Amino acid sequence: MTSTEVQDHPAEPAGALLDVRDLHVSYGGVSALRGVSLSVPEGEIVAMLGSNGAGKTTLLRALSGTLAMQGGTIDSGTVELKGRSLAGLDPAVIVREGVVQAPEGRRIFGELTVDENLRAGAFGRGRREGRAEAFARVYELFPQLQERRGQQGGLLSGGEQQMLAIGRALMAEPKVLLLDEPSLGLAPQVLEKIGEIIQLINRQGTSIVLVEQNAGIALKIADRATVLEVGQVTLEGSSAELSESDEVRERYLGLGRGPQIGKVEVVTPVTGRRSALPLTVEDLTVRFGGLTALSEVSFTVEPDSTHAVIGPNGAGKSTLLNVLTGVYRATKGRARYGDAVLTDLRSPRIAALGVSRTFQNLALSPTSTVAQNLLLGRHRLTKAGFVSAGLRLPAARREQAEQERVVAGIAEVLGLSDHLGVPLTSLAYGDRKRVELARALCAEPSLLLLDEPVAGMNSEESQQMARMIAQVRETLGISIVLVEHDMAFVMGLADRVTVLDFGLCIADGMPDEVQRDPEVLKAYLGSTEGSEEEVGEEIGEAGP
Amino acid sequence: MSQFMELLISGLSLGCIYALIAMGFVVVFKATNVVNFAHASVVMLGAYLVARWHGSLGFFGAVAVAAVCCAIVAALCDIVLVRALRRRRGSEEVLAILTIAINIVLGTALAREVGTDLLPSGAPWKSDVTHVLGVTVPQTRIAAAVVALVLMGLFWLAFTRSDWGVAMRSAASDPEAAALSGIRLGRVAAGAWALAGALAAIGGAFFTSFPAAGVNNTTGLLALTAIPAAVLGGLDSTAGAVVGGLTIGVATTLAAGYQDEIAFLGRGLSEVVPYIVLLLVLLWRPSGVFGTREVTRV
Repeated sequence: MTSTEVQDHPAEPAGALLDVRDLHVSYGGVSALRGVSLSVPEGEIVAMLGSNGAGKTTLLRALSGTLAMQGGTIDSGTVELKGRSLAGLDPAVIVREGVVQAPEGRRIFGELTVDENLRAGAFGRGRREGRAEAFARVYELFPQLQERRGQQGGLLSGGEQQMLAIGRALMAEPKVLLLDEPSLGLAPQVLEKIGEIIQLINRQGTSIVLVEQNAGIALKIADRATVLEVGQVTLEGSSAELSESDEVRERYLGLGRGPQIGKVEVVTPVTGRRSALPLTVEDLTVRFGGLTALSEVSFTVEPDSTHAVIGPNGAGKSTLLNVLTGVYRATKGRARYGDAVLTDLRSPRIAALGVSRTFQNLALSPTSTVAQNLLLGRHRLTKAGFVSAGLRLPAARREQAEQERVVAGIAEVLGLSDHLGVPLTSLAYGDRKRVELARALCAEPSLLLLDEPVAGMNSEESQQMARMIAQVRETLGISIVLVEHDMAFVMGLADRVTVLDFGLCIADGMPDEVQRDPEVLKAYLGSTEGSEEEVGEEIGEAGP
Repeated sequence: MSQFMELLISGLSLGCIYALIAMGFVVVFKATNVVNFAHASVVMLGAYLVARWHGSLGFFGAVAVAAVCCAIVAALCDIVLVRALRRRRGSEEVLAILTIAINIVLGTALAREVGTDLLPSGAPWKSDVTHVLGVTVPQTRIAAAVVALVLMGLFWLAFTRSDWGVAMRSAASDPEAAALSGIRLGRVAAGAWALAGALAAIGGAFFTSFPAAGVNNTTGLLALTAIPAAVLGGLDSTAGAVVGGLTIGVATTLAAGYQDEIAFLGRGLSEVVPYIVLLLVLLWRPSGVFGTREVTRV
């Protein structure tokens, strides 16, 4: 192993632009960072790897001054930009000092136009001069944004929103740009483009701290990398060194033998289980005003199989799930689950049929505990009414205890046992994703719809998730419809794949067929292991 | 018919004043997500200061100084009280309750100061009237309508075009992301409160001018009527504040004007009418006429 272990602290490189030393951070007494040091040399890209809950986002919050907004405090340690302390400053002041963060989940201003979003970013300059140049620079980097400058940010596709979030941060002309999960929820093709743009920004003279679950991309573009685990730095070194290290290869790049995880026991729930029925989607069309989100999409999901739906951002994948669960109405065509016509039913009726889903953007109550969120998922299967539960009648109490037992069992399967009592807000994004899945499972579905279940997870975590899902499917005998961008995950799990592009079904078949389909390669996957020139061409062709 | 026209015009001109006051609610709500009940007592403060000072400063001078004073008082409320609570992560509901407390304290202090007096606002148009389309309209109301329209136009321009407007809307949309973009949330909030305070003072001055008799100890209570105006238009919509203000203005004036015809419903109905209209509108549209409905993309 060539990477430096932390025990013998490496000498800080001279001329570090941003310097973090021995930082301790806690949220209401719960420690999140325990002595983290990081130095960002001028003009370099530093990647930050680590599992969910390792403290990466917390570190960025400490750098950008937003820790207090989340109830966190810096207990000890220093954060310095060229020798000037940033600790305790207002976020807006830190932006003026030159440290600017593009937050996780993009967080663009949805009601503001693209132009106004960038104007908001320009406040970080603290002065008006040079604003026109900053606009010109951002629009040169992202010509797509210029085409849509008058549109509301909320109407952009996922990739464009990410560009806008980066563009907004660049308006302040940062010395150090902090990027939190820029790849989250992006199609493979857009992902490569964002990677290239990050490198370009760096070459133009901005140092970058890149927090990323996609370690492949991160290590490819970064000069150096730091691995954070449970609030501490466990590895650091140059990207090349870390790419060779066993730990990184196994845990983050998904290479090598892979971690051994004990076989998980699935508690077979006792109440009202039904076996899966075929799901048939016929000529499904959804229009919003003049926009066609889905156009005559047809496919069949066999009982007990996993069916993946993939496609670029904005292809209509989430719309499809929304129609299947009664959130949106179909304009034309229909979807049947067994004999029931889903497109004619309202959401609660669909749920009662045993159709359960997870949401891309998480639909959980942030202030409730994990256990409470999961119990909510069992609402459909809870018999005690308002009165008997309110009066705590013996039958209601017995039922409550029984429900709690089932919830605990499902939590154990998904590795959430330790988190049951904590409020959701204190969980990392990837852990919340598992709570979301657990909540869906709590309804004991026979058809499970998963919307990007592994977005925001590293390679190890997503492999673990794949195993859990496969096991749940086998043990419980349910069908799964899966929307996801992580191709390794999709191809490993799916029995059949449907590819959508601009609402049209462009391919449908076995995973390996679809993967070779030239049309799919062009529209979605971008390059496979192809040469660099090909990559460039394909990106050039891909319009908004 | 002529009585109806008279009441309608009078109602619309009163509505402009309501709209001006309701706009203050909307500005604070948009920038900070707080329903600012203290606004009503700031309206009374403005009216009181104008009534006290018009003798020495003249009506316009008094309005200008009162606007500045109210802006400062409102901004201080935000900086000293609301901000401290927000720092400790107080929820929006708690902040709203804090503003009710501010309203009670400030309102009571002013009511004690006014006592049983009736202080005229000293508007230069006195009780003069003008005939418009054969309808008699008090000149103060015409002045109020013109001032309100000009101020609302300026506000709309600033809100949609200026940097201040962008900062305000960004902060309303996602405070944390706004802070990360370099927007100083504290300043945006204090600025919104100050603007609301200034609008309250100007609204208050006209609110207590002819045909109203002047400031008395119930002015703060009457000014609360602007809350239904803001809510029924949609708390986060400036256009809604205008429509809500005009609706409430017309409704109260009509109820007062036809009180003999509707006497079977009881006397003093005009004071209740704003709330009845509010209930009916909210049953039809729970987020107000122009309010943004809670929309999330799943």
